[in-house]
Amino acid sequence: MRTLRSFLARSPARSPARSPARSPADSRADRPVAGKPVNSWWAGLRVGLGLATGAFALAVTFGAFAVTHGWPAGLTILMSLFVFSGSAQFTLVTTLTSGGVGPAVAGAALMNLRFVPMAAATARSLRGGRWWRAVQGQAVVDGSWVSAQRADGTFDRDKMLAATLVQWPAWVLGTAIGALAVPSTSIIHTAGLDLVFPAFFLVLLLDSLSASSRLIPIALAAAAIAGVSCRFLPAGVALLLASLAALSVLWMPTPAPANRRTRPAGELAP
Amino acid sequence: MIAMWSAVAALAVINLVFKGAGPAILGDHQFGARTQTALDALPAALLAGLIAVDLLGPHWDNADWTMLPGLATAGVARTRGLPHLACILAGVAVTAALRTLG
Repeated sequence: MRTLRSFLARSPARSPARSPARSPADSRADRPVAGKPVNSWWAGLRVGLGLATGAFALAVTFGAFAVTHGWPAGLTILMSLFVFSGSAQFTLVTTLTSGGVGPAVAGAALMNLRFVPMAAATARSLRGGRWWRAVQGQAVVDGSWVSAQRADGTFDRDKMLAATLVQWPAWVLGTAIGALAVPSTSIIHTAGLDLVFPAFFLVLLLDSLSASSRLIPIALAAAAIAGVSCRFLPAGVALLLASLAALSVLWMPTPAPANRRTRPAGELAP
Repeated sequence: MIAMWSAVAALAVINLVFKGAGPAILGDHQFGARTQTALDALPAALLAGLIAVDLLGPHWDNADWTMLPGLATAGVARTRGLPHLACILAGVAVTAALRTLG
């Protein structure tokens, strides 16, 4: 517990990023890779490797799950190639088996509704014209989006792209192996690979909280909301409700400007 | 079979629109201070929610106590400064060991 406290206290207050009290050095710290795209790509690849491990394990499970639910292996692989969203794909396969196309697509779309505000938040960090920004927006997936966020609310575009570009083939390859070989899901369970995603999300969350301890009650509230909600509601809806916990920050007292180095969520430890 | 193909095509298009609309329309638009504050808090909320949903699963069908020690191990490893991948592997090893022994 003391370790956790000291970890969180390392850089306790991520003050509003636009705080006038911040020194130029702090600004540079918030953008550790700005102007160094190679480092951004490298950081993204490293983050993406961890995420891809989890994506691969989950994709093998998904591929086997879909085929055992009567989906052709080829279509299952194509779905992973073009949709690239685990929660939505699981929802589609599950609900199409028991319902019509409309409810199945609606349920899967609801799962991904969170990507609308997430992608919108990246808009000013992306480059190029309208269509090119829309293409880059396709790189928004949970882990990449979180790890690419800087302390000032902008996004490290290259890091997000790199992290997603590592996960995408892992997701498709894992689906192909699962769909064609249909391994027993008990192998994944016994090896503990189902822990990869929650563990990765936890380390990213700890990074985020170490940069801003005022987010701790929000994270706890979100976990509680999601935990209770997913008992009765689809996972995507539970996540949407959990995201609403972020709004409570608007009623929190504004922290005093701090002139300390901050650490963006997802920045890798040395 | 047609239903499956139609559903996949529809979901792919919806996903494209969901992720592409904001970046295409907003461009360099800057959110207001209050919106930006809420967006800054969104990752922590989303991550915490994802952890809960991943651990429990739909209708709590995936709830498994062996994941908690693994998750705790990953968390402690991170507070000790270990790299992300090492934290995850440590957590996975603990959960796998508990399942093997159990």
